[in-house]
Amino acid sequence: MKLSDISRCFQGVIPSIVATADARGVPNVTYASQVYYVDEKHVALSCQFFNKTRRNLNENPNVAVELHDPVTMQSYRLRARFIRSEKSGPLFDTMAMRIEAIASHTGMKGVFRLIAADVLEVTKVEKVEGFLTGDACVEDDEPVSVSGMRTELRGLQLVSERINRADDLETLLAAALDALDVYFNFNHTIVLLFDETSQKLVTVACRGYGGGGVGAEVALGEGLIGTVAQQRRILRISGLDASLRYGRAVRREVIEGGRDVRPEIPLPGLPDAQSALVLPLSAGDRLIGVLAAESRDAVAFGEWDETYLDIIANQIALGIDRMTTADVESEVMVESAGPRIPIAAPPQRALPKRELTYYAKDDCLFVDGEYLIRNVPGRILWKLLSEWKEKGRTEFTNRELRLDPSLGLPEVKDNLESRLILLRNRLAEKCPDLRIVSTGRGRFALNIDAELEIVER
Amino acid sequence: MNLEKLHASLEGGISVLVATADANGIPSCCRGIAVRPGEGFETLTVYVPVATAHETLANVATTHRIAVSFTQPLPHNSIQVKGVSRGVRMASDAEQPFVREELDKFAGQLDAIGLPRRITRSITHWPAFAIDMSVEEVFDQTPGPKAGVPFK
Repeated sequence: MKLSDISRCFQGVIPSIVATADARGVPNVTYASQVYYVDEKHVALSCQFFNKTRRNLNENPNVAVELHDPVTMQSYRLRARFIRSEKSGPLFDTMAMRIEAIASHTGMKGVFRLIAADVLEVTKVEKVEGFLTGDACVEDDEPVSVSGMRTELRGLQLVSERINRADDLETLLAAALDALDVYFNFNHTIVLLFDETSQKLVTVACRGYGGGGVGAEVALGEGLIGTVAQQRRILRISGLDASLRYGRAVRREVIEGGRDVRPEIPLPGLPDAQSALVLPLSAGDRLIGVLAAESRDAVAFGEWDETYLDIIANQIALGIDRMTTADVESEVMVESAGPRIPIAAPPQRALPKRELTYYAKDDCLFVDGEYLIRNVPGRILWKLLSEWKEKGRTEFTNRELRLDPSLGLPEVKDNLESRLILLRNRLAEKCPDLRIVSTGRGRFALNIDAELEIVER
Repeated sequence: MNLEKLHASLEGGISVLVATADANGIPSCCRGIAVRPGEGFETLTVYVPVATAHETLANVATTHRIAVSFTQPLPHNSIQVKGVSRGVRMASDAEQPFVREELDKFAGQLDAIGLPRRITRSITHWPAFAIDMSVEEVFDQTPGPKAGVPFK
């Protein structure tokens, strides 16, 4: 039997068991928070605390590991020898990232971290015969059929087509998430874009969360998403619940020890997610954002999903990059030439009253006393409203926003498109009488179906 | 030692792990199904399935050394006891309801965190060996910086 035959066991859904013995032969047994598959001959254990297992390995390199298949519960035993401890390098980085993400999520960043990846040479892999009665045994996955592969490739082609066909960023993101849902069953997905100015990631598109969510921010290095963005590495966590329970147990112990810890960070989308696949969106060396998929199924994401979504993430990243670059280049040309989409005449009916207040000191906008938006998107809306009030303007261009220094857009890669998406979505959610409507490439209109009062404080 | 807290750590459904080592110090592990403490927690009986505990039994017969860890899966509270075996016997029919009930409680705990009861209940639990041990040391093993310190 090979280690790759039991790959599901390494997903960490059911904790693995590690037995060691000291130099005198006194045994010790514990759960391993992570047994990582290295290759057909090696696995690695995560060492987070200098515990008894770690001390025993220094005295006696022999180890027994018992792993469980998360679908069938079948047990497998490994005989192994501790050969080295890695404190840097690709293996360490990969294992550290998962732990760091969980630690950050549970408010334990810096307290609970990987000290070393302890590499074991596996000498024997065996199924524990008789472990199950056989009553509830589920057979292994069926092999991937040729038609299945064709379907997946066809799906990839369709997703690519939709990304490439998109005219603007909003369409691109909506099309990509829709295609991932329809063709590949990634039902809960989020895209966040990185804002270099604030060093935060802002949610600009999500699917499968029943509305809302757009505008939610994550700081770089914080939680699962922030960690992926900071480290620019894919994170796949199965059995998220088990990992978080482990993290929370550590947190409880640390708090009982009298130490202050940061509050837990809410999960990005599903409060009861069991697995997550989080990918960085990069173009060259530049971080563009993060694509995250979640599921309530503990073993929803395997290696295939990771590889597949990585291809899609690259396409989305390049699409966003292409769009923001093309947007800037084409605006100058279309400003005086391209076709204009006529603005619909306002309806003849009694208009609701809305009060929009801009708090300059806090750099945020409220609608009828309720928070609407802040920072750059807030300043954009305030500029549009001021122009409307002073000059009666309702049509604008991206270019004039880019040229306005008061908005504080960075000179290069300003993410203006994503800020407009965010603004559009926040308005749709909080003030639907006020809409930003695209009227052509690089142009848009402010549609107002309310009696507006705008106040600056 | 806080006996009340120690007994409480066995309640509600627990995961039981057993480790032994042979005469050459090569460790072995297996899942236990239930533990029953004796008076003052000075002794403990751990039940292991006959089907999967051959190595454990062989090691206990040779070295007598045994470590047993029990964990409440939801809060991750964990205790490890270490000691020597006083004897091994086939668990009696009278002990079967207790062993079955412990497996059911464990299945209930795992069910609450997403692993269906029927899967856990399919773990072979009977016939079982009962390993009676003298408890020499007790450790708090809840994950964290204090994991492995003596239980007080």
